[in-house]
Amino acid sequence: MKPPLLTRLRRQAATLLAGLTLAGGSLADTYEVKLPPELSSSPRMCDYAPCKDVMPGATSFSERKGQPPYVEAYADAGGQKKLIGYVMLSTDITDIPAYSGKPVVTLIGMDTAGKFSGVKILKHSEPILLLGIPESALIKFNNQYLGKFVGDNIEIGKSRPEENLIGLDAITGATVTVIAQNQVMMLSGGEVAKQVGILKPVVRPQAKFPPVTTAPGWAQLVEDGSVQRLTVKPEEVGLKNDGRPYMDLWFGYLNQPTVGQAILGKDGYDGLMGRLKEGEHAIFIIKTAGMDSFKGSGFVRGGIYDRVQVRQGGDAFTFRDLDYLNLWGVSAAGAPAFDESAIFIIRGKSFSAAFPWKLVFLGNKIDKETAAKTFANFDREYWLADAYLEGGRPKIVKPDPTWLKVWKDKAVDIGIFVTLLLVISIAYASRDKLVRRSSRHNKWPVNAFKYTGWVVSIGFVGFYAMAQPSITQVLTWFHSRLFQWNWELFLSDPLIFIFWIFIIVTVFIWGRGLFCGWMCPFGSLSELLYKLGGAIGLKRFQTHLPQALHDKLKWLKYVIFFGLLAVSFFSMGLAEKLAEVEPFKTTFLVGILNRSWPYSLFAAGLLGISIFVERPFCKYLCPLGAALAMPTTFRWFGLKRKDECTSCKACAKGCGSLAIDVKGNIDQRECMLCLDCMVLYYDDHACPPLAQERKRREKTGQPLTPINGKGYFIPIKPVPMDKKPQGAQA
Amino acid sequence: MTIADRNELRQPAYGEASGPAWLLAELRDHLWPWAGKGQPARKAVQGGGFAIAIAATVAWMMAALGHLSAGAIIGWWFGWSVFEVFVRMDAKPYVKEGPWWGRLYRRATLMDMLCYVSFKNLLIGAALFIGLKAAGILQV
Repeated sequence: MKPPLLTRLRRQAATLLAGLTLAGGSLADTYEVKLPPELSSSPRMCDYAPCKDVMPGATSFSERKGQPPYVEAYADAGGQKKLIGYVMLSTDITDIPAYSGKPVVTLIGMDTAGKFSGVKILKHSEPILLLGIPESALIKFNNQYLGKFVGDNIEIGKSRPEENLIGLDAITGATVTVIAQNQVMMLSGGEVAKQVGILKPVVRPQAKFPPVTTAPGWAQLVEDGSVQRLTVKPEEVGLKNDGRPYMDLWFGYLNQPTVGQAILGKDGYDGLMGRLKEGEHAIFIIKTAGMDSFKGSGFVRGGIYDRVQVRQGGDAFTFRDLDYLNLWGVSAAGAPAFDESAIFIIRGKSFSAAFPWKLVFLGNKIDKETAAKTFANFDREYWLADAYLEGGRPKIVKPDPTWLKVWKDKAVDIGIFVTLLLVISIAYASRDKLVRRSSRHNKWPVNAFKYTGWVVSIGFVGFYAMAQPSITQVLTWFHSRLFQWNWELFLSDPLIFIFWIFIIVTVFIWGRGLFCGWMCPFGSLSELLYKLGGAIGLKRFQTHLPQALHDKLKWLKYVIFFGLLAVSFFSMGLAEKLAEVEPFKTTFLVGILNRSWPYSLFAAGLLGISIFVERPFCKYLCPLGAALAMPTTFRWFGLKRKDECTSCKACAKGCGSLAIDVKGNIDQRECMLCLDCMVLYYDDHACPPLAQERKRREKTGQPLTPINGKGYFIPIKPVPMDKKPQGAQA
Repeated sequence: MTIADRNELRQPAYGEASGPAWLLAELRDHLWPWAGKGQPARKAVQGGGFAIAIAATVAWMMAALGHLSAGAIIGWWFGWSVFEVFVRMDAKPYVKEGPWWGRLYRRATLMDMLCYVSFKNLLIGAALFIGLKAAGILQV
């Protein structure tokens, strides 16, 4: 029967609206776009999503079905509807976050043979996709799935046929995003493929249990892990905390005789086992506190308990009404009081208590601003202890977490990078020796390390590894620290992670100059251009801004930094856009020739000016430099000064950073630690007070003693005539 | 010496203390921005500072009781930090030069004080914020 005209019109209007919103295909349009709330709640999902785009040839779609949900896609074949595939919304199935910490909402199509037929991003929160990476890159990435089988072993990286591994090309500069997207694709496709019978469940060897020898109490069951606890806080589902947990569940596996008898008592256990067929398993759940029901308030006879499920490996086990038994009480001494309970039967040969499994609570997170609900799941692992399994726990190889895979894949890069950082740090720590070996005319003992740092930083760190630190990372980390800290997120980009450890440590020890002046890819490129400009005959055109103007302009970078920080509290998206004041993305991630002209012109302009003015961006615009300059105020070890520096301007004249003030003090926040002033400090031909002393001694025939740590010749103290050596007396 | 001009050096009132007494004095100096014995301060700035500090403390207590949102407490803390800069420039216009275990202090420029107060309060604020969040009191 056709739905009423009004309903059809409403659906068509909704489809048109959703199409206009979603089918535009532009990722810029899908950045933080407001999706219709019905998309995640309406049974007719495809009225609100461009399902036809991911399932070519489909003419109609079913309502949502299954757990997790999907829709069936049909084509007209001789006047009859023919099933041609399935469409799923990723956020119905998983909430795996991408780099932004939020999931990428993706519509996925899969044909009846289990091959991906279409992928469409409906909403994302990835700043890098908004401005840095062209949208065509993600579309190209997603297109790699088309025609691939959902059961294939697909990962980001190179294909390894000997391991049956199909590799996908990553998006350079958005590794974390595509790794998360791959997990979403494979998990979503896999879940639906298992439900519709495309993927067969894994058959696991069944556990054997030793006979009952003890009667453990509740505390002991908890201690040995036979009873586990899954707690969900209200704030994790977007609710206000009133002191109660949103859900506080205890659960355990009942087939194990010792555990089962402890929970149910001997009679209860025997009764339950008598009801179970071969290959069936029972778990219990009790709710000791909480704001909601774990069975679901909308549960109806014949339906599915849609708030709890069991997962083992890639297999999910859901519960229908026939899988439910009442649990009237818990026998174990010391068991807590509960207000809701259940025994659920796991049916399926793929489940085995010998291996770890998870109880999953499927919740909805309510967005405070939009009141929209998004899928969120919470889980707790369960694995019977050795003592409860005959022969103990089997050995299993758990797959590496994503971040560890990335670290292993980039092991060589990481090795090179860490070596570079160590060499530079050791060289700088040995600066006193290096500057003593240098002179005003020959600074190579210092510059050999510094220039090597620049070249490797530009080529390897910047262009190859794209590990240019950015103010956006500071903002992201600042917000993450306050709102949602996720170690995996930060570990997923190993070079950036290591770089930041280096930056934080060295800023506190020596100030920002070691990073900014020696290791920042863009800063290095900028100063290298200045040096090259001078070397090819442009020296006469090179200049510094007047000190007075510099002293005013240098505050601009702090204004930019605080501006970005303030904006980020209101809108991270806007802050990310404004962070384009950093030309890093244009220079290293995307390429000056690959971006639209305003960005290219800005980056090229700054680099062009760098040929004539030393580091204009670092001195006046860099918000990252400003953020690092502030803790530099408290760096432990600064550069040395002499009393004569108050009146002598020799170092100040040669200071490319314009960091030495009229009183001869170094503004450590502006200093790039080039060490030119330190070379002069020990150079008895360049440092005026030292040169003066050298000349005096040469004139009077006094020896030139070594220069001490304070930058002076070691004083000659004449031995008094009347104090003869002991040996002479003897 | 990392300072060329010795006129820039300053000695706080507790500069001669040693051992635990010096550490306690340092701690007090970080937490108490107002003038101590032997340090000058204008009464108006001192009084205004006290008033805003009390308001900021009340704000933290309200947050601890769950009556103030994350945004509000961040705003309060930022506001107090701005005023603390003025209070310190008036009462304790110096910052440490060199490592934290050292005894060298120098005259603070406005930027020095901004850096000091913002960084110190960032650490204190983050500790309080994370503590309240971990206790499940502060909603984000």
